[in-house]
Amino acid sequence: MSQALALRNSIIFSVLFALLPGLSWAQARYLLSGVVRDAQGAALPGASVAVPALALGTATEADGSYKLTLPAGPQQVVVSFVGYASQTLDVKLTRNQKQNFTLTTNQNELGEVVIQGQQSLKEKLQTTQMGVEHLSIREAKLLPALFGEVDILKTLQLKPGVQSGGEGTSGLFVRGGSSDQNLVLLDNALVYNPNHLFGLFSVFNSDAVQSVDLYKAGFPAQFGGRLSSVVDVKLREGDRQKYVVSGGIGLISSRLSFEGPINKGRGSFIVSGRRTYFDVFTRALNRANAGKEDYSPIPDYYFYDFNAKANYKLGEKDNLYLTGYLGRDIFGFTSPNGFNSNFAWGNTLGVLRWQHTFSPRLTANTSVAATNYKYQLSNGVDQFSFELGSTIQDYTGRTDFSYVPNDRHTIQFGALVTHHNFGVGRLQRSSQDGSVNFGADVNYTGQEGGIYASDNFKASDKLQIEGGLRLSGFRSGSDTYGGIEPRASARYALSDKISLKGSYALMYQYVHLVSNSGASLPTDIWYPSRLSVRPERSQQVSTGVSFLLGGGKFLLTDEVYYKWAKNVIDFRDGAQIFANDNLDGEFLFGRGWSYGNELYLEKKEGKTTGWVGYTLAWTKRNFPPQLGTAGINGGRDFFPNYDRRHNLTAVVLHKLNARIDLTASFVYTSGAPTTLPQGRFAIQDIYQGGVQAVPIYPDRNSYRLIPYHRLDLGMVYKLHPSRIGGGRDLTFSIYNAYNRRNAYFIYFEQTRDKATDKVTGYRARQVSLFPIIPSVTYNFRF
Amino acid sequence: MDGLFEARKVARYLFAAAGLGGLVGCGDFQKSIDVPLPQYDNQLVVECYLENGAAPRLSVTESVPYLDNGQAVAAGSQILALPDGQSVQLPTDVTVNLTLPGGRVVNLPFRPGLDAATGKYYTHSGTAAVAAAAGQQFALDVQDRRGRHVVGTAVVPTFIPIDSVKYKFNTATDRKAYFMTKWTDPAATTDFYRLMLHKGKPANNSETDNDIRDRLFNGLPYAQVTRYRFNPNDTITATLYHVDSLYFAFRQSVRDARNANGNPFSQPSSIHSTVQGGVGVFTVLVKDQKTLILK
Repeated sequence: MSQALALRNSIIFSVLFALLPGLSWAQARYLLSGVVRDAQGAALPGASVAVPALALGTATEADGSYKLTLPAGPQQVVVSFVGYASQTLDVKLTRNQKQNFTLTTNQNELGEVVIQGQQSLKEKLQTTQMGVEHLSIREAKLLPALFGEVDILKTLQLKPGVQSGGEGTSGLFVRGGSSDQNLVLLDNALVYNPNHLFGLFSVFNSDAVQSVDLYKAGFPAQFGGRLSSVVDVKLREGDRQKYVVSGGIGLISSRLSFEGPINKGRGSFIVSGRRTYFDVFTRALNRANAGKEDYSPIPDYYFYDFNAKANYKLGEKDNLYLTGYLGRDIFGFTSPNGFNSNFAWGNTLGVLRWQHTFSPRLTANTSVAATNYKYQLSNGVDQFSFELGSTIQDYTGRTDFSYVPNDRHTIQFGALVTHHNFGVGRLQRSSQDGSVNFGADVNYTGQEGGIYASDNFKASDKLQIEGGLRLSGFRSGSDTYGGIEPRASARYALSDKISLKGSYALMYQYVHLVSNSGASLPTDIWYPSRLSVRPERSQQVSTGVSFLLGGGKFLLTDEVYYKWAKNVIDFRDGAQIFANDNLDGEFLFGRGWSYGNELYLEKKEGKTTGWVGYTLAWTKRNFPPQLGTAGINGGRDFFPNYDRRHNLTAVVLHKLNARIDLTASFVYTSGAPTTLPQGRFAIQDIYQGGVQAVPIYPDRNSYRLIPYHRLDLGMVYKLHPSRIGGGRDLTFSIYNAYNRRNAYFIYFEQTRDKATDKVTGYRARQVSLFPIIPSVTYNFRF
Repeated sequence: MDGLFEARKVARYLFAAAGLGGLVGCGDFQKSIDVPLPQYDNQLVVECYLENGAAPRLSVTESVPYLDNGQAVAAGSQILALPDGQSVQLPTDVTVNLTLPGGRVVNLPFRPGLDAATGKYYTHSGTAAVAAAAGQQFALDVQDRRGRHVVGTAVVPTFIPIDSVKYKFNTATDRKAYFMTKWTDPAATTDFYRLMLHKGKPANNSETDNDIRDRLFNGLPYAQVTRYRFNPNDTITATLYHVDSLYFAFRQSVRDARNANGNPFSQPSSIHSTVQGGVGVFTVLVKDQKTLILK
């Protein structure tokens, strides 16, 4: 980081901390803090801890912890959580005090859908944070899923402002941002490629995940490094009371988890694994057709992933958390005549986090993390081999403090530093006899750092403000970049049922995804800011209003946003992205902007819950002529392929009785922009091999596919407990229930006479991907 | 060498492996639709490959709206129906002039015909063979009476010889051979190649056709190896063209444009013509050939 930047940092922090509230407070006040857990000892994030008499309250953090500053003397504290029996406790505060709570499932409210990890609508109304969606895995598990594979990222696509990249894929395109502009974190460790099989499935195993928070705007200052969203996934901690085996057998994969206490509940652990079995079927098919002349063997493909997490209480003030993930997609092909090909890709990561409580008012989380994504493709014929690969490795150290001087301020500050190793492209072609031996290995390093501070200030009962600053920097080789990222959000309560909110955030992205395909491919490469590749920068302003309706049963939110970005990256036609040591010469740089309105009605309590979201949005890009090219579309504005004018989603969860949950989700979106050829010409080539038609493409994305809509239905049927105890259920899903033929892509082809095989003309064909797909999954827990 | 192409191939395999590919492309998963394409103005399309010692011949055709089935014929053009049922639109009012390296301009009159040796159609041709030495420049001027004007230049590449060719059979019951072509890249220049392997006489469809640049082997010997694909007694001819960057880019853009039609993972490319004012290619071919009979 440059000296100027360092000076700027110190000035900003001096000002910031000068503004921090004094530690004295007129009336004696003490801090009540602790953790809220369920009966199994699992932390309950989002639970309400309140003192109704003082109209004070807070929601628990991701680890179930809470902090509440209260006047000295007797106070009645109420802890509540949807689906759990509320607890009331009388405390007499004469000093800072620690108080943990254990909530049990509310057996008397069988009619109520249990949605763990949900903020109540009231809390959502009151928080300053805008554009955030919290989703628990329990909610995702109830909803219907493609092939029965519960996928928390796909569930997020049902929220307003979030688009999918295509039919059935788990990529997230948030408020006009591309999929590489999402900061995807697993217990605070970065996940570079959150997809299996081109995004058809996410890497997050539903058995291991506790919840996910998606930030679309008003990003808290502790997050940085991506332009458009933060996807903060938390793993479960495991049962603290007893050993539990759980799992599921599905249409395409099976899952198995084992969890339990460590040292009589001083800690807990969970290990969870998942594997698909496409390859079992394809191998059987290959065996059955072996020897048939017109049969081409189907290559082997499968993916697997393992999650593990352990936590241990070192003492009254110290906790240790360890998280690990390993996932791989494996493709292998060996032809009978000796050609072989192998392709493997996946993420590996590990995080060790130490949580220390200095005092009830000050806690710190310090972690070290390593994350790695790589792919490797290798082919072989006789003595000749070809290898292609790419990696990115990060080593990150970070520390985050949370300080609550009084009930009006919550201050967070911290710092992180990351060392990146970019293996941008490794290509090797060689032979055993040495007659062929050449290749390229393009590697870079980068260092990324950030420091931040923020204060959530409760100015009055009506006004709450959160202000933050993040200073970030990046260095790769001799190139150094940095920037100030202000963050701000505010909430003003017009009444106890209406809140006005606004937010602003500036984000930098120093690491870029190199992808010139329309989909997420495992061969996409991450590339640092260096030479002509400047950091991408986005700014977003958003404002909204929330209404609590129907006696608190419904929350209606309307948010408007405008986001603009510069140094956005794309590629020139015919770019060579593999093992290219001059890759920055293949980029095009432009700007992007998006704006829209998101209307969101949600209901979280009662037998029937769910939400309806409608988004009206525009997303545009502009790449002017540069580097001897005409830019994109000659420098005219265009819509990227994830632009959708209208997006309507509706989700309903209904608890029919104690054993049956019924669910349905519906999606309608405007057609996706796509590029179709406008003209064609004939080419004979050097030798006459038949005249071939070559398409001539007009401006990019100048045509739209037909609107997309789909209804999914689901049912969870709880079976009677088995003789060994535990719970079992059958989860039924019907994907695309009315068998809509949605357009996946369009192509043009020649029509031919069946008898003579002569060309008779040309026509357009529309291809659909998924028909109606019923599935059933058997889940167990004992 | 083309890693991206490899990746896309793998992508298609993976979809098939996942059992999802079977859902695409069969039965109801495809249907014909009406696509209202915007107005498209036909362009002149030039395809001209000069070779040392051969008389110049080229084709001048017209591009048409993609879904046109012969309705878009303008006055001054006519339809040429090909034996396979395709039709090509020929403008009949085009004047072609070729400027030789010495500056002499040769008119190539409109004289449509079929080259018996190559099986290729041409519209304009000359009678005298051209002499092309490395580094010399040719220019082409194509103009019709409707205001369309295409120009282009081409420089003669240097000759790069094939060092050796060889093959080897595997030991499987279904006996197949791979084929290797080796040459040495000059260090002083950035070079581009097109390597074609033909079975039998090199006039039909090639077995393999690769566009290669020397970014990873500049100044070094290079060998292009096929997979096991050739049978005993096949006669294989390797043809190595040393091409210029413009022709390489044109080929690449044609391939990318064709691949994008029907591949949702592919980003369509505009056509990078080597000529200006229209679409197409004007280049000088310099090649070396070697033939082997696989025993």
